[in-house]
Amino acid sequence: MIELFRDTYRYRELIWALALKELKIRYKRSILGFLWALLNPMLLCLVLTVVFSKLMQASKPDFPVFLLSVLLPWTFFSQSLTYAAESIVGNGDLIKKVRVAKLVFPVAAVVSNMINLLLSLIPLVLIVAVMHHPFYWTWLYLPVPIAALAILTLGATFFFAAINVYYRDVSHILQILLQVWFYLTPIIYALEDIHIPPKYQIFFKLNPVVYALNGFRLSVYYGKLPTAESIFASFACAFLALFLGFWIFRRHQHDFVFYV
Amino acid sequence: MTDQPIAIRLENVTQRFRVIHERPDTVRELFARFTKSRISYHEFEAVSGVSLEVRKGEIVGLIGRNGSGKSTLLKIVAGVYRPTSGKVNIQGSLAPMIELGAGMHHELTGRENILLNGLLMGYSKEVMRSREQKIIEFADLGDFIDAPVKQYSSGMYMRLAFAVATEVDPDILVVDEILAVGDFNFQEKCLSRLRSFREAGKTILFVSHSMDQIESYCDRAILLEKGKLAVDGTPAEAIKAYIGESSMEEPVLVETPAPRA
Repeated sequence: MIELFRDTYRYRELIWALALKELKIRYKRSILGFLWALLNPMLLCLVLTVVFSKLMQASKPDFPVFLLSVLLPWTFFSQSLTYAAESIVGNGDLIKKVRVAKLVFPVAAVVSNMINLLLSLIPLVLIVAVMHHPFYWTWLYLPVPIAALAILTLGATFFFAAINVYYRDVSHILQILLQVWFYLTPIIYALEDIHIPPKYQIFFKLNPVVYALNGFRLSVYYGKLPTAESIFASFACAFLALFLGFWIFRRHQHDFVFYV
Repeated sequence: MTDQPIAIRLENVTQRFRVIHERPDTVRELFARFTKSRISYHEFEAVSGVSLEVRKGEIVGLIGRNGSGKSTLLKIVAGVYRPTSGKVNIQGSLAPMIELGAGMHHELTGRENILLNGLLMGYSKEVMRSREQKIIEFADLGDFIDAPVKQYSSGMYMRLAFAVATEVDPDILVVDEILAVGDFNFQEKCLSRLRSFREAGKTILFVSHSMDQIESYCDRAILLEKGKLAVDGTPAEAIKAYIGESSMEEPVLVETPAPRA
């Protein structure tokens, strides 16, 4: 663990440069460029709002705010995983020719998606303003769930980046897993609005992203703070994921070069 | 030379690869493990039990036939591979030139690539900014420096890559046959750069198939045979043994690939 913090600090300039490179390449050759980072969540929100609040009559006031407050951090989570799973394999040519700390690649993938998440808070602010949804003081609490989610995501990315080196099927499985995960997570619905049969409740309790995402929705949409247990659970999940993910990554990192 | 400190020390270094005969990278392998069916592979020792010491300021050439382990040994020294067994000790900063332009990204401009490459080699942003102008001058890119690298001619590309690798002023340079590429002008430029490196007392370890280059630039040459150190002596001795060996045995096929290279 100390190694993780030490190396992240040591290679901070490289990680930052790689993250910027990723963003630059993502938006290169598009006329709108970085604006896509802002437009994407707005368009997705528009589609989902039409589908869920108009067609399916979901009964949440200010549905776009309700949805985006969790959809944005979820997008950060799922995109980070998607990018990071490929991060070691995708940089295989580099790993085979230059001595470089392997952890910079997954970390850079998370950093670049974090920049995206922070940028996408701008359209969220716009939508909240346009819909006359109140700006609660609890917005100030947002750095806390952002931190919990970032740590959790980093742990998961280490895990997927490492095993994808050995089994390329992982990146395909991950896509399906993320789909299922999306519906099992209260994003387009609220947990209290649905009836979950008792024997399935365990799925929701064990879902590690729920606790961090909950912090986003409470502070932006409801203007409340999560309970102490919920905050504790979000960080417990986050550090457990980081610990396990990095443990696996670290054990295998010197072997990656032979498999990429 | 013997009074100089040791720059590179390898102690009984062995690198073993697992060459899997079937497709290696799917769940099938995992499945095969569960069902206890055997995956067919053989182990292959690319480098076996090599010990050597290179002192600061020495220019050492590595020769040997294809598949003799030269590139693997170079990658071990450069820290790309962690050897299966044995010890590696490197004193000083090292710039690898395993392949020119390894860290280049085609969508980024020349200037952005200079920074990214430097950071990848472990230099700070500050150092790279201060070297930038010199790199651009050596690479002779003119206005192209702010164009994406994919628009470069292959000559421009190589000049930039070589400039980045050498301008950062490493203590040790590890070079894999890059001098075989490029036009006459470029080769001359590279060789004169290597000469100035030698005058500056830097350590160079390089692989070449050009016996002329080995003869004229190296203080010492090492002949590898099937991953083992066969000759470690003057360039003339190593070359003589190499040519003798080659004419006695039939030519080897192709370079044995590392697992899914």
